[in-house]
Amino acid sequence: MDLLTTSVATVESGSEPYTLVELVGEADVTNSDALREVLDAEVAKQPRSLVIDLSGLRFMDSSALHVILRANRAMDRQGGVVALAGPRDPVAKMLRLTAADQLIPVYRSVSEASAG
Amino acid sequence: MARSSAHFPDPPSRSVPLPSPTSDAMYHTYRSDLSQVRALVLKQAKEAGLAEGRANDLVLAVSEVAANTLRHTQSSGTLAIWHDEDEVVCEIHDEGTIADPLVGRLRPAPDANGGHGLWIVRQVCDLVELTSDASGTTVRMHMSLRAPGPRG
Repeated sequence: MDLLTTSVATVESGSEPYTLVELVGEADVTNSDALREVLDAEVAKQPRSLVIDLSGLRFMDSSALHVILRANRAMDRQGGVVALAGPRDPVAKMLRLTAADQLIPVYRSVSEASAG
Repeated sequence: MARSSAHFPDPPSRSVPLPSPTSDAMYHTYRSDLSQVRALVLKQAKEAGLAEGRANDLVLAVSEVAANTLRHTQSSGTLAIWHDEDEVVCEIHDEGTIADPLVGRLRPAPDANGGHGLWIVRQVCDLVELTSDASGTTVRMHMSLRAPGPRG
């Protein structure tokens, strides 16, 4: 079983569809290249908003964080937004310690993120 | 890697060896499987009596240091973990060299393209000792078992 699985969906919600990337498992230096490829591919489609569901993530290290920050910069340049949803305690703490939560909005759930 | 502070002598902590791990320390060698390293640290930390939140902090710290082994060396790293009534200690040793003794002491910008790892380690651990020379790098991370509760 893979340490990290990713799934991507386009969600039709209200006026504007958004891209939802769901991460399940453990995101670390051993799979950050694969994560980068997934996020790069979605960013390249220029969605208006990209929601990353972290609720299935047991662990995230700074390599994975850098990949997410990189996607955020790219989205920002093309006028889109990134939101993070549902981090468990250890992941939420990591986002706080690095002040990444000052750069990317963090919501309790995907439904909150898509409404926000 | 060039030294960034060539005019200054090494701080004492870089030349004085750390005291040896206790005789009942558990050792684990890793090259690519950090998930196994994290599972081992979590299990040992909880068995030693570290609260859940702080055990997760230690797991994050050890994983960040072990990730540097994968990034910066071609060889395996070694985890040692032990505890007494006062603290749980995890030590990572690998063949890498850290030239900057201040690494991780200054907060990187949130969108910096690296450098968060050792910053995180220093934030979540009660004490971090780092020695590095031509023979390799040793990072020792301490978590007190007497702290009043989870921080932050």
